[in-house]
Amino acid sequence: MPEYKAPLRDMQFVLHDVFQAETLWSELGLEDVNRELADAILDEAAKISQNLMSPLNRSGDEQGVSWNDTVVTTPDGFPAAYRELAEGGWGALAGDPEYGGQVIPKMLVLLFEEMSYGANMALGLYLSLTSGAALAIASHASEELKSRYLPDMYAGNWAGSMCLTEAHAGTDLGIIRTKAEPQADGSYSITGNKIFITGGEHDLTENIIHLVLAKLPDAPAGSKGISLFLVPKFHVNDDGSLGERNEVSCGSVEHKMGIHASATCVLNFDGAKGYLVGELNRGLAAMFTMMNYERLSVGVQGLGLSSASYQSALDYAQERLQGRSPAGPENRDGPADSLMVHPDVRRMLLTQKAYVEAGRAFAVFVGQQLDTAKFGSGEAQQRSAGLVELLTPIAKAFLTDKGLEATIIGQQVFGGHGYVREWGMEQLVRDTRIAQIYEGANGIQALDLMGRKIASNGGQNMAVLIQEMRDFAAAAEGEIAEFTQPLLDAVTELETLTATVLSAAGDDPHAIGAASVEYLHIAGLTIYAYMWARMAGVALAADQNDAFYAGKLHTARFFMQRLLPQVKSLAESVRAGSAVLMDIPVEAF
Amino acid sequence: MPLYKAPLRDMQFVLKDLLKAEDHYASLQGREEVTPDLMDAILTEGAKFAEEVLAPLNQVGDQQGCTWSEDGVTTPEGFKEAYDQYREAGWTSMSARSEFGGQGLPPSMGLLLSDMIGGANWSWSMYPGLSGSAARVLEVYGNEMQQERYLPKMTEGSWMGTMCLTEPHAGSDVGLSRTKASNNGDGTYNITGTKIFISSGDHDMTENIIHLVLARVEGAPEGTKGISLFLVPKFIAHEDGSLGDRNGVTCGSIEHKMGIKGSATAVLNFDAATGYLIGEENQGLTYMFLMMNTARMGTAMQGLSLGQLAYQGGLEYARERLQMRSLSGPKNPDGPADPIIVHPDVRRMLLTQKALTEGSRAFLYWILMLVDQASHGETEEIQKEADELLHLLTPIAKAFVTETGLEVANYGMQIYGGHGYIGEWGMEQIVRDLRISTLYEGTTGIQALDLLGRKIMGTGGKALMGLTKRIHKFCEAQAGNAAMEEFVAPLAQLNKEWGEITMQIGEKAMQNPDEVGAASVDYLMYSGYIAIAFMWAQMVELAAGGSEGDAFMASKVKTARFYFQRILPRTESHKLSMLSGADNLMALDVDEFAF
Ligand SMILES: Cc1cc2nc3c(=O)[nH]c(=O)nc-3n(C[C@H](O)[C@H](O)[C@H](O)COP(=O)(O)OP(=O)(O)OC[C@H]3O[C@@H](n4cnc5c(N)ncnc54)[C@H](O)[C@@H]3O)c2cc1C
Ligand SMILES: Cc1cc2nc3c(=O)[nH]c(=O)nc-3n(C[C@H](O)[C@H](O)[C@H](O)COP(=O)(O)OP(=O)(O)OC[C@H]3O[C@@H](n4cnc5c(N)ncnc54)[C@H](O)[C@@H]3O)c2cc1C
Repeated sequence: MPEYKAPLRDMQFVLHDVFQAETLWSELGLEDVNRELADAILDEAAKISQNLMSPLNRSGDEQGVSWNDTVVTTPDGFPAAYRELAEGGWGALAGDPEYGGQVIPKMLVLLFEEMSYGANMALGLYLSLTSGAALAIASHASEELKSRYLPDMYAGNWAGSMCLTEAHAGTDLGIIRTKAEPQADGSYSITGNKIFITGGEHDLTENIIHLVLAKLPDAPAGSKGISLFLVPKFHVNDDGSLGERNEVSCGSVEHKMGIHASATCVLNFDGAKGYLVGELNRGLAAMFTMMNYERLSVGVQGLGLSSASYQSALDYAQERLQGRSPAGPENRDGPADSLMVHPDVRRMLLTQKAYVEAGRAFAVFVGQQLDTAKFGSGEAQQRSAGLVELLTPIAKAFLTDKGLEATIIGQQVFGGHGYVREWGMEQLVRDTRIAQIYEGANGIQALDLMGRKIASNGGQNMAVLIQEMRDFAAAAEGEIAEFTQPLLDAVTELETLTATVLSAAGDDPHAIGAASVEYLHIAGLTIYAYMWARMAGVALAADQNDAFYAGKLHTARFFMQRLLPQVKSLAESVRAGSAVLMDIPVEAF
Repeated sequence: MPLYKAPLRDMQFVLKDLLKAEDHYASLQGREEVTPDLMDAILTEGAKFAEEVLAPLNQVGDQQGCTWSEDGVTTPEGFKEAYDQYREAGWTSMSARSEFGGQGLPPSMGLLLSDMIGGANWSWSMYPGLSGSAARVLEVYGNEMQQERYLPKMTEGSWMGTMCLTEPHAGSDVGLSRTKASNNGDGTYNITGTKIFISSGDHDMTENIIHLVLARVEGAPEGTKGISLFLVPKFIAHEDGSLGDRNGVTCGSIEHKMGIKGSATAVLNFDAATGYLIGEENQGLTYMFLMMNTARMGTAMQGLSLGQLAYQGGLEYARERLQMRSLSGPKNPDGPADPIIVHPDVRRMLLTQKALTEGSRAFLYWILMLVDQASHGETEEIQKEADELLHLLTPIAKAFVTETGLEVANYGMQIYGGHGYIGEWGMEQIVRDLRISTLYEGTTGIQALDLLGRKIMGTGGKALMGLTKRIHKFCEAQAGNAAMEEFVAPLAQLNKEWGEITMQIGEKAMQNPDEVGAASVDYLMYSGYIAIAFMWAQMVELAAGGSEGDAFMASKVKTARFYFQRILPRTESHKLSMLSGADNLMALDVDEFAF
């Protein structure tokens, strides 16, 4: 069974050496956050993920959650672990300080998230959902609701859930049916069924605060008629104590491919009392403001699990003796050589390493934009806000697509043992797989990227990113050209394709949908090339005798030579256009 | 849950129209003839059995799994009953030789059947599948006593067989195996050691299990040259075929796995178990390898048949699930939303499934014909040519079709959105079940080394030339056919490039022994995409001549176009990656992998 080890060295490298986080934080006026504090948080996060969360990962998978007459029981050890996490303040890292939250930048929070998911994704999810719900409340709810609910959510006494999906409405939230009837006291009576609700019911906390999308009886049709409500499991009295049980109950939990320890619930609202959050009919917009944080966090799931997979695969490859090096035996005294001698095993490990480390840098890069957009001002703030819009769908989809690929490779390195549960590698695949689906399926992210984030503003934000990558390459000199040249080629391809698809979209409504997934991957690979070039730049300036930096350069080279070429194939698929997809009548499939 | 439907139309199209199966079967020597009527009957009856008996047990098998106790392994409910039906219907004896009670049909027939029964229920299909492989080994290499005593029961299916190669420290590297055989001097050996991961190593489907075990005779040379093959029955058979003493082989436990839960994966402990030498001492691996092509084709079938199931499931759901509107205007204006098949990206997923699955079917069925020809072809020359191609294509088939099968299965899940992740919908089970196929019977990495190292470099590129010549001829014959131009031009160009790249790698490999392993998986995938393109081009040629208005034929042309325009370009990145050389893999010291 793999034991999670937090990749602290690389996290610090990315945060401090590549992105100079301390300088940025002081520019943003976050005086209390400095390198020392960041490292202390990372250390503590490493401890809690390694010592508290990781040991419950396999047992949580085996045991799963169970449901009995509306009561959901989480696996052994989960309630105690959750309490410890909550008491450590891990649920309130990025909260509203007025109600007990801490002001920790996202750049740092996401590294904690990476560790928590890498160690135990199912457990980590309860915490994330709660932070997500708290964020929506903090951003949109009335003072009254904030002061009644936020302090206990930040303190970890109460958890949160997000209730969007219904049986017939997943991507298409405009067709939800859950009803909200206005009551005389200003509250609403909520009735309807939600499915797939993560953390919808459990025994980790004494109360659960549901954020529910519903429609008023006279609301406009479609997505413009959706409102957001806060529906507590137990009512909260004026003094903060718990009152009566609200009319919401859990009808069942799903049996899933993975994240067995995360409760995925059918929730039945039967005239439950709810409170409006934000404005009427503006519910989707309110949800979406917190979506950027959530989507990055889901992307980080792909990252965390692939990092865990890489660690185990690397250990295993060094220990497992099988076959001999094609260049002659290396471990003469042993019965065979370690797997590390085989070029193909190295190809697999380097693919994992290249994706994981670029992915980590990319996530922190997006975190940097989120922080600048939130705490910054003026032009920088605006620029970052634009980049956040652009980068979020890429982060969500690309990190999770690569997450599946990397965890599958990790399994492959283990050979037959990768398929057997006790070794833990197959669980990583099963757990990662959901991240490509929820919080907007990856196909939907790709449409969001090309349609809303690029086409709708003439590619303005993409132009900003492209310029940044070109500027970086132009400023770099010397040996780094080996890395900036392939980056520039990819940037040019990305720019050309953006123009090609946007112009095709003028008279072909399917042009974007036909190109979107491949386009997102081209953008993701190009950004990874940018990340690798930046990391190589730092490594070139550092001590080459340090294996860490030497490894960075080799991995950067591997990425440019073996993974970046995928851009060429993807670009050709994009150029094929939409006819080849749309010309086939439905019956002919 | 998607209930498997045998794709009979496509199977018939590939067999009859593309591969001219009638002529093929009529030409084979030394086997019973498969007449067109017989073939139809086998396909229809096989489809019925797969759909009606096996498909309903697929989810049950996954949920219940196998259970272990001191007394042995229990298979999921219904598995044994289904097997009894299968056996009674004579399916186990189809490709077996007539001397031992078999029907003597060509080997391809068994594999064609496995496309259907595997799609319906892969876990279940492994029991008869492996048993068949073991029986084939005995048919060829067993001595008279072994054949007479064990084969008739295996043929009729009342006993099953296994293949015991793997040990805890010896998987890809079988040469490391330690299981011992000591000669008792009376024609028997005592076998002692531990085997792991043995499929069907123990179960309750048959009264006896015949293990074929690799072991090392005392004093044998080290490595692969000192391995012998033994027949080790669970119960020793009397001369009259009745059951005798329980042998010293026991099942220590079974694995808890990601998928194929209905298939028992056993740890087998051999404790001075009585074994009978098959063939000669130290020749065990040779015998195993000769059977390997068929076994690998069996695993390639897993990629195809489960890919088919994922496509069927995806398609059905995409037509029914209503979500969002088409961007070119509502297609289902009276409903609350349009079926998701209107969305380009859903079509991209479906067409990727369809193009890879149907292309793979043509590819694998073609190889099945070669399997027949290699042993039963009309002339020695035909046999030799088929054998060469078969050796070349088998590792490609095994690794490419399972790797792309996994992609196809993942798309099946993705089309279902959140429902794809939920057990009861059955789509995630396909991914879990299929995932094993790139691991067992030699991992993808090992197939790729076999392809590039042994089959390509080992023949000085001769085997490949045989294939590229064929493709070249096909392309030449299409010259001037305007309708074929869009397919033939890229195929011809890649076909040429294939040879050139092979030369380049060959040259590099002479300088650096790591070059082969550094290029191998990319090389294999590259080759696979070209092979499938060749199949699609041939199918288009047929379809273009088909009758107007036939949706099936029309869709073949359009799917081929999709394949050529959107999938085939993947060759480019594989090419660049493999030509980038071994240095970017080998230059790292082990501690530079640190994180
Ligand atoms: C384990 C788990 C946990 C979850 N947790 C939560 C939660 O906490 N709260 C919550 O509200 N929901 C949750 N969900 C639901 C999840 O967010 C949805 O499943 C997801 O949004 C997809 O919706 P769907 O399942 O209805 O798929 P559908 O919308 O039916 O989509 C099916 C397929 O069609 C494609 N598609 C749909 N529309 C289009 C289009 N216009 N263009 C192109 N392609 C399209 C999709 O990409 C997808 O591949 C969870 C789901 C799971 C499985
Ligand atoms: C469910 C299941 C059923 C099975 N059924 C059977 C059965 O019925 N009978 C039986 O005998 N076995 C069976 N196996 C075992 C299976 O065939 C082996 O697992 C497989 O051969 C790989 O061996 P391994 O697991 O030891 O992996 P390893 O050999 O340890 O390989 C680990 C990794 O290293 C790579 N590698 C190893 N050597 C090299 C090399 N020289 N060059 C490049 N890369 C290399 C591999 O590609 C792989 O990625 C089964 C396994 C499973 C999981």
